[in-house]
Amino acid sequence: MTNIRIGRRAALAAGVAALASPAVVRAQADPIKLATLTPLTGAGGPYGPVMAKAAASVVEEVNKAGGVLGRRIVLVSEDDQTNPEAAVRAARKLIDVDKVAAIMGTWASSVTTAVAPLCWESKTFLCTVSGADSITLLPHQGFLIRTQPNSKLQVTRVGEFILSLGAKKAFTMIPQTPFTQSTFDILNQVLPKGGCAHQSLIYDDKKTTYRTEVDQALRTSPDVILANGYTPDTVVLLKDLYRAGFKGKILGFAYSINQKLVDQVGQPEVVEGVYNFAPASAEGSSAFEKAKAASGSANPDPYTCQVYDHINLVLMAIASAKAATGEAIKENIRKATMSGGKVVDNAVDGLKEIAAGGKVDYAGASGPCDFDEKGDILDCKFRYEQIKAGKFTLVKIA
Amino acid sequence: MIILQALVNGIVSGTLLAVPAIGFTAMFAVLRFPNFSVSGVATLGAFAGYLAYGVGLQMAGSLVVAFAVAGVAGLAFDKLAHLPLIKQGALPAAIASIATGIILENVVRLGFGNAPRGYDRPIARDVFLGDIRVSPQQLETMGLALLLMLLVFAALAFTRIGKAMRASADNPELAALKGIRPERIATLASFVGMGLVGVGGMLLGLDSSIDPLTGTRILLSLFAAAVLGGLGSVPGAVLGAFLIGMAEELSVLVVGSQYRAAVGFIAILVVLTLRPRGLLGERAY
Repeated sequence: MTNIRIGRRAALAAGVAALASPAVVRAQADPIKLATLTPLTGAGGPYGPVMAKAAASVVEEVNKAGGVLGRRIVLVSEDDQTNPEAAVRAARKLIDVDKVAAIMGTWASSVTTAVAPLCWESKTFLCTVSGADSITLLPHQGFLIRTQPNSKLQVTRVGEFILSLGAKKAFTMIPQTPFTQSTFDILNQVLPKGGCAHQSLIYDDKKTTYRTEVDQALRTSPDVILANGYTPDTVVLLKDLYRAGFKGKILGFAYSINQKLVDQVGQPEVVEGVYNFAPASAEGSSAFEKAKAASGSANPDPYTCQVYDHINLVLMAIASAKAATGEAIKENIRKATMSGGKVVDNAVDGLKEIAAGGKVDYAGASGPCDFDEKGDILDCKFRYEQIKAGKFTLVKIA
Repeated sequence: MIILQALVNGIVSGTLLAVPAIGFTAMFAVLRFPNFSVSGVATLGAFAGYLAYGVGLQMAGSLVVAFAVAGVAGLAFDKLAHLPLIKQGALPAAIASIATGIILENVVRLGFGNAPRGYDRPIARDVFLGDIRVSPQQLETMGLALLLMLLVFAALAFTRIGKAMRASADNPELAALKGIRPERIATLASFVGMGLVGVGGMLLGLDSSIDPLTGTRILLSLFAAAVLGGLGSVPGAVLGAFLIGMAEELSVLVVGSQYRAAVGFIAILVVLTLRPRGLLGERAY
């Protein structure tokens, strides 16, 4: 511990100076406090620092342009260590000591699940990038939004992509996960509507061979197989599909079908033509360009884009509410993005418009940032890639 | 037809399972405790073989490396951790072996990380024999496994040391009276048994991929095969491995493969209830 000692004289001098200064300066000395709670260390360590930096750059810009409601913004950055226990301690400090109005950027689902109750109890607004479906189902009373698409949105888009490949018979192979049943349910709705029959099989992700499972899938002569597992089991599955001579199309999530998988299979023709997909940022949009500048990264990851959106939305919500409390943000956050007003891609422009009495409709770096009543986003872009000669090539972002 | 195909698939996986099952049951026959560290040793063998194959050794050479590394590591753990506890009974030694299995798994994790790796073997399309689909590579792996099993049986049947091992397993006191030194037999059983487990890990990894959990994944099937055939019986382990392999593949058709683990447990339950000594009893040979 280092102790900062302030001499009595220095303290007195500072106090006199503060009282003697004009009221405007004193108003600025009473700043609006917001926080990022990102994983600076732990499993999320590669993402957290850039996320915090992007938010800090936005705050800097807004402060340069005069702040919000004539007040300066102070952004406190804390480390959640990708650990719920450390995150709760950090959140307590942010809520009780710093008294922030909003916390942004919680990354791991376990962290968000632990921090969310502290937030809604203390009426602090929480913006998260966590993916678990359960998060927006928490009794958060509106004090939470999430910019990461939930599994329903993701699987629906997968189904639509399968249809766009012209599939008439699709087959899903998936291990037992918390998403297995919901994946089946959603695909069983989406695919038949587009004229595609759907069958599925749950496999054991600990098996060393899937020959019999592959036989079962191929008996239904599918033209598209959704390989919906994780990398280790998908490696085995793709090899067995190749051995069995499957000629149809194969697709899967990018968290499983990635360069690591290609390297491991080791033989390009086994994975030739396999598709992957992942939620994507709004690449090419003007907000995405701004998020690039804010994060200092030529290719900001989706989480950085989402935090860039969090801070912009929160600042505009405060301006619309003319109050910097969690309650005010909760009531006004959708006004900043779903009002049908002037389309803006950053808070500085949005704040000007709001100050002039106009409405704003924020179009973000991660997507349109329109939320349903539970706090989930209604839509976002997805990135589709295909393996050609062992390399991933972009098919489309849509 | 699909049943026939599943049976063929089951025989293939049963053959691969038989090799480590022989090692497991042979160790039980001599040392009289179930050595659960086979999970870690199988993983170690798989990675040792992977490294050897990676530096350009041929299949046979890599198998020898896998055997030697797994044998030495298994023997060391037996001497240091398991056998000192055996005087307290089989249970403390068995529990210690669970711990050493976890240690080995994490040593591998420390060295190689969690990401799965694949042997750099060409993947070939299957060939059809009538309506039955078989993979040329799996046939090759299966051939290697069968060859190993033949070697083990020949060694047990015809060599002095093999006969001594069987004698010691059947009746340690009588064998000792005849001048067979029990510690030597114990050392040999540890080394050979764990070597077979290591080779088994590598054979299983050849067609799929290996990671620190490779051995843990097969532990239940392995144990079930040994119990089903009769703990301590080498032919029993082979029979048990085939039956478990086929039952696991057939179960996919009936209840889905997410219940694969249940097959092993049910086999153990049924055997322990109806025929506690296993199908072939516990005679080593």
